[in-house]
Amino acid sequence: MNRRMANVNGWTIGAVLIITLLFVPNFSIVGGVFTPASENWGHIREFMLLNYIKSSLTLVFFTALFTVAIGLSLAWLIAQYDFPLRNFMKWSLILPLSIPPFIGAYTYHGILNYTGIVQKTLRNHFDVTVNQTYFDIMNVPGAIFIYTIFLYPYVYMITRIFLSNQAASLVESARTLGKGPMEIFLKVIIPISRISVIGGVSLVILEVLNDYGVVKYFGIQTFSTAIFQTWFGLGDLDSSIKLAACLMGIVIFILVIEWVLRGGKKYSFSSTKLRPLPLVKLTGKKAALVSAYTLVIFTIAFLIPVLQLLDWVVLTFGKVPMEEVLTYTKNSIIVAGIAALLIIFFSLVIGNFSRITKHKFAKVLPKLTVLGYSIPGAVIAVAVVTTFIAIDRYLAPVYQFLGLDSELVLSVSLVMLISAYIIRFFAIGYNSIESGYTKIGTDFRDASRMLGVSSLRTFFKIDIPMMKGAIISGFILTFVDILKEIPLTLILRPFNYDTLATKAFQYASDEKIMEASQASLLIVGVSAIAIFIFNKLLGEGRE
Amino acid sequence: MKKSLMLLLASLLLVLAACGNSTKQSSDAGDNENQKKNEKSEVNLYTSRHYDVDNELYKKFEDETGIKVNVIKGEADELIERIKREGTATKADLFLTADVGRLYRAKEQGLLQAVSSDILSKQIPEKFRDSDDMWVGLTKRARILVYNKDKVKPEELSTYEALTDDAWKGRFLVRSSESVYNQSLLASFIEINGEEKAKEWAQGIVNNMARSPEGGDRDQAKAIAAGIGDVAIMNTYYLGQMLNSQEPEEVKVAEQLGIFFPNQETTGTHVNISGAGVVKGSKNADNALKLLEFLTGEEAQFTFAEANYEYPVNEDVEPAELLKSWGEFKEQEIPLTALGENNAKAIMIFNEVGWK
Repeated sequence: MNRRMANVNGWTIGAVLIITLLFVPNFSIVGGVFTPASENWGHIREFMLLNYIKSSLTLVFFTALFTVAIGLSLAWLIAQYDFPLRNFMKWSLILPLSIPPFIGAYTYHGILNYTGIVQKTLRNHFDVTVNQTYFDIMNVPGAIFIYTIFLYPYVYMITRIFLSNQAASLVESARTLGKGPMEIFLKVIIPISRISVIGGVSLVILEVLNDYGVVKYFGIQTFSTAIFQTWFGLGDLDSSIKLAACLMGIVIFILVIEWVLRGGKKYSFSSTKLRPLPLVKLTGKKAALVSAYTLVIFTIAFLIPVLQLLDWVVLTFGKVPMEEVLTYTKNSIIVAGIAALLIIFFSLVIGNFSRITKHKFAKVLPKLTVLGYSIPGAVIAVAVVTTFIAIDRYLAPVYQFLGLDSELVLSVSLVMLISAYIIRFFAIGYNSIESGYTKIGTDFRDASRMLGVSSLRTFFKIDIPMMKGAIISGFILTFVDILKEIPLTLILRPFNYDTLATKAFQYASDEKIMEASQASLLIVGVSAIAIFIFNKLLGEGRE
Repeated sequence: MKKSLMLLLASLLLVLAACGNSTKQSSDAGDNENQKKNEKSEVNLYTSRHYDVDNELYKKFEDETGIKVNVIKGEADELIERIKREGTATKADLFLTADVGRLYRAKEQGLLQAVSSDILSKQIPEKFRDSDDMWVGLTKRARILVYNKDKVKPEELSTYEALTDDAWKGRFLVRSSESVYNQSLLASFIEINGEEKAKEWAQGIVNNMARSPEGGDRDQAKAIAAGIGDVAIMNTYYLGQMLNSQEPEEVKVAEQLGIFFPNQETTGTHVNISGAGVVKGSKNADNALKLLEFLTGEEAQFTFAEANYEYPVNEDVEPAELLKSWGEFKEQEIPLTALGENNAKAIMIFNEVGWK
């Protein structure tokens, strides 16, 4: 008992402190739920709400379904089989994650619309004019397509790492028992990868619920467009916060389901014989089929949009000054890097607290930090601005003492932007770290503690090295996501501060998608390099 | 145990301190620079316009006056919210936006201060200035009709109102009601024809739509070329951009279109402005005024028109050749503030009639 109490202290204080810091700005939103409804609320409920719920749920349901189908099947094929192109595909299939869905939407619309490459070629070279309805992607099925191809890597990546490292003994046993590949997939792979699939798909769902760029461009009314319409259109921040709170409610519901689905079931392997799955070599037709499948996905989700962007870069070359582009790139990398590092550090502390504390509270509390991911970026921005101005006011005497002639210091600096990133994207990093902790279990830690090694030393000597994969993948995922972020960056950045994403967005929102291509391609490039490094670091010694 | 606790806290503090420090240094540095700049003087903009031509003009202004222009770009409403929350401490001096409705909102929320100068009154017609001098227009655009030259004769077109006739059933194209340009358009009809008539109009348009609204203004033009519909509503400068696009196909599309300024016999074609106002808590109000005078001056107005195909507000400056070739037109004669006043009503009407 004594030891447990002592155990609780160190990590608890750290975790509770961080969670509180993460959560403070969100209070102004949670508080908004209890303000009395404005006159607009009746109007919103009567004419808008049902549509929003319907289209949001449709998008979420089908995107989830398709990302699981594609992500899980790819993860399984790559983890278990050897076929031509496998080594290339293994990491290339993550690359679509480097394309922000709104850029992807603009790109695909650019390719498919009347003046796009497809119709242009058909018209000018073959004299074929096609039925526009077949090429129209600006609708709900089109949005599902965009989300699916650019978000499936969440499921693929998390599941593949899990299967490669964890599934060996189970799959081998099944094989020994004479089970065929299909049966193994259905009876072994699907059940054991449930946790990682759910982890991946919940990120997909949150991303879809929160997206604004794609649905706005396609003219689809969802929760996030409703929040903006109410706030900006009706000038009614209170009602829009109410909507945001509804959205939060849905997200909490999803998280609870996720928790229930994987609650209690921990597939942690405390054997030291964590072997990678030996690959089965495919030949002939089967090999061709599998290669073709991965190639098709890769082409649609990465190659085609990138080629289109390249084409536009060439068309508009020289229109965007080069020296500025370098600055944006540097800015993007620095802020995303700092924020991602802090997120991983905080996640490690909270994750460890949640793992080693036996109390229920320790399992539920960290879930709260995920809420940031459920609140639309612009609403977080308002909450963060409010909080930082309050802090600045509070620190005014300090500033005066330091001889600064300004009342606003923190709220016009990068501190505010980075804090907002941390609040917004904590879920991404934490998800990765948490599943890492789940994977390593507590046996090694317990052994170390039993031998009298301190909790902190154990953390650095035992846990961290075993968590290398989770830490790196968490960092890269967060880094790439922050690189793509728009609304927070737009509103919270300091004077004269642009990133690749804000630059791309500004051109795109002026319907100058061709000029936006340079910044877009750089986002893709930087993310691709990050993913490549991640693969190098993680791949070595594993397969 | 205590040792590990201390270590953990220490490391946490270290990280916080490190992060706090580095950024403090940078903001310190920023402030020192600011102090230096204050001697040289500066002006801080919050703007929702993000055209490259704006940056060029700021640079020119810096070169001419030695006043440094600092910019935060964002969406208009988010910037308004930010200025509001920064309150008296705000660093913003000038608020710039691409729609008069947002200037109205900033004024309504008490974020702007009145400025007037002889230069401004000379350069900008009264019509494009706020009645209380809280904002001034910088450029204007008209929301016009474009049509398929092969299928529609210009004689068939007359007014925005006539587009609700059955003759246009399944032939009309327009972007979604989320576009502030459509909101301002409907707001102008509320002002001119009253709320009931405006609602009937919106309902009539929804009935005649060739497809459910999607894409931006350029997409409506392309839909005409593709044969989805015959007539669309579009802003003038998008057409200018398409006609000057690097993509030959876009030029082709634009060349297939006829241009029509509606309501010439009646209430005039709808116009909207980009504009700016000096922020209430501004610490560099004089510089902000100087920038306003510069941006409405002949040189800047000419640049806006040439580079972005916007109409100048300064009457001494001629529109770009392309816009001139479209001819002169009669503008709506309502006070521009009406677009702001009626914005929320317009949105509600859009929702009620199901204009997506």
